Amino acid sequence: MKLVLLGLLLLVGPILGAQAPPSQEVVLSTSAGSKFGVAVPFPQVQGVAPATVTKEFHEVLNRDLEEAGPFSVLRNQLPTATDPASYPAWVTAGTEWLILTGITRKDGGDVDVTVQVVDVMAAQTKNAKTAVFSKRYTGKEGALRRIAHRISDDLMAQLTGESGVAGTRVVFVREVGRGIKEVYQVDRDGANARALTSYRSLTISPTVAADGRIAYVTYKGGTPEIWGQRTPGGPHVRLYPTAGRPGGNCFCPVWSPNGRRLALVQGDRRGNTDILVLDVATGRVRRLTDSNCINTDPTWNPAGTQLAFTSDREGGPQVFLMGDDGSNVRRLTQEGTYNASPCWSPSGAMIAYVSRFEGKFDLFVYKLGEGKAYQITTGVASSESPSWSPDERRIVFSSGSRGGMQLYTTDLSGNTLRRLVDLSGCQSPKGTRSW
Amino acid sequence: MNLVRNLVPLSVILALGVGVACKKPAPAPAPVEPAAVTAPEPAPAPQTQTNDDDAARKAAEEAEAARKAEAERMAAFKAAAAAALKDINFEFDKSDIREVDKTKLQAIADFLKAYPDAKLQIAGNCDERGTVEYNLALGERRAHAAQSYLTSLGVDEGRLATISYGKEKPEVDGHDDASWLINRNDQFTLQ
Repeated sequence: MKLVLLGLLLLVGPILGAQAPPSQEVVLSTSAGSKFGVAVPFPQVQGVAPATVTKEFHEVLNRDLEEAGPFSVLRNQLPTATDPASYPAWVTAGTEWLILTGITRKDGGDVDVTVQVVDVMAAQTKNAKTAVFSKRYTGKEGALRRIAHRISDDLMAQLTGESGVAGTRVVFVREVGRGIKEVYQVDRDGANARALTSYRSLTISPTVAADGRIAYVTYKGGTPEIWGQRTPGGPHVRLYPTAGRPGGNCFCPVWSPNGRRLALVQGDRRGNTDILVLDVATGRVRRLTDSNCINTDPTWNPAGTQLAFTSDREGGPQVFLMGDDGSNVRRLTQEGTYNASPCWSPSGAMIAYVSRFEGKFDLFVYKLGEGKAYQITTGVASSESPSWSPDERRIVFSSGSRGGMQLYTTDLSGNTLRRLVDLSGCQSPKGTRSW
Repeated sequence: MNLVRNLVPLSVILALGVGVACKKPAPAPAPVEPAAVTAPEPAPAPQTQTNDDDAARKAAEEAEAARKAEAERMAAFKAAAAAALKDINFEFDKSDIREVDKTKLQAIADFLKAYPDAKLQIAGNCDERGTVEYNLALGERRAHAAQSYLTSLGVDEGRLATISYGKEKPEVDGHDDASWLINRNDQFTLQ
């Protein structure tokens, strides 16, 4: 177990700046042997087609557990029996947890999914607790995939004390026609992609509050305005400019961690852009920057007391920090001539951003405790718009060359790059736990 | 009478159709055929009817003449707009007006002086390099750079709305220096 937790702390080596060679990795523990062996025999099924169970549940759960990080999912040459007499054979196969599941279709059409986890390793020792986890899940038959995600997240919580991210989603922007973009969402595993807006206009820059409310910029009225939800699941309404306020093009809304405030960007009459904070309930607005330059890309720390942002106040774009009242502005990024798109990590310890080098953009992570930047991707294509997964172990971003931008996730070593969804023309992904 | 009354809405519709109300005095009406004005039929009985016919014919001809004049004025306006409203371009990450574009902006200022009711939207755009949000801010600055320059040439700022599309609406799809230069622009459209 301790080895497993070390394995979670994948670190990447320091770099001297954008000109440094590809990052050297300091890997504490990644060998397969340190992973936690689990096996998921095919469920006991009643009333649901086995093909459906395979595609919508068994494969999904296996993949979720594999991608969770600490688990090594055993899939070949496994015992067929699952009774106590078979436990030694499971242990020999490398299993620590034997994950037994059952799926039953009920009269009303709902399905019951039961999960029992046996610690077959502990079962070798007398008097040790062998039933480590037991839970029943209920949902519509179409919800099997979601239930599999919840099981994976619960098993992560059981093992590490923190919920997994299998049941999370990504909100993003997709180009659906020339000059027409809409806000979409997709499950973390690439399933269930669907549009959240249908304005047939330019709609960009989505943000998701902790309770699931979205906000974004839309040009549907001719000029860019901030629209979104005042209540979870509520209608999409204009949030800014509020009635009676002077116009000015508005960009880049970002919900504060408690969801009461919206940081946003507004152009002034001289072509500068400033960061404002809107109290959504009262309509009160506070201007945080007022300088003769570009200020954009606000991102909150988890306490909602500070923001990082992009400004060209010292020449090219660089990442700065300030208090949520605009005080105490100081520059964060020191290397390179174009650093932008900061995204503060959920724990507050890191800020992801992009940096331009030799015409391409790569992802970097600035570790505030160390005061150092680490390069995550190395430019085959240009990578943009980093956003953290809720567990802070991966970064979702857009990448592509020649215009065909797609969504990917990477761990912090940059080694396990995965395409999120098979859709092109995607940008500005935002990872979120909320539904 | 109905025809005459219809004249006003017709010209309004024509003007609105192009988005500009022309308050300039209309050019001299096209010459009207004398016969239409000076050929009263003397016969007493149908006289009223005949006068009505004449008036109607006259009104119709005036309407036709006005419509033609309006169409010509619109055609001239459109041609002048098309000639004047050319994109200007920018260097990478810059919003300075280039020397070569100052003559284009002078032509736009001259057009706006010739058509005092015309209003423009200036849209700032960027090439695909750089981040979404920074480019939106940069496009904002590019639009204002042209607005500021036109204002310095005497154009009322209230006639020049600005908007930024950042890199969201590239003019061309290419991914080379030539395409990028085209996509780093201000576009001027009639409002």
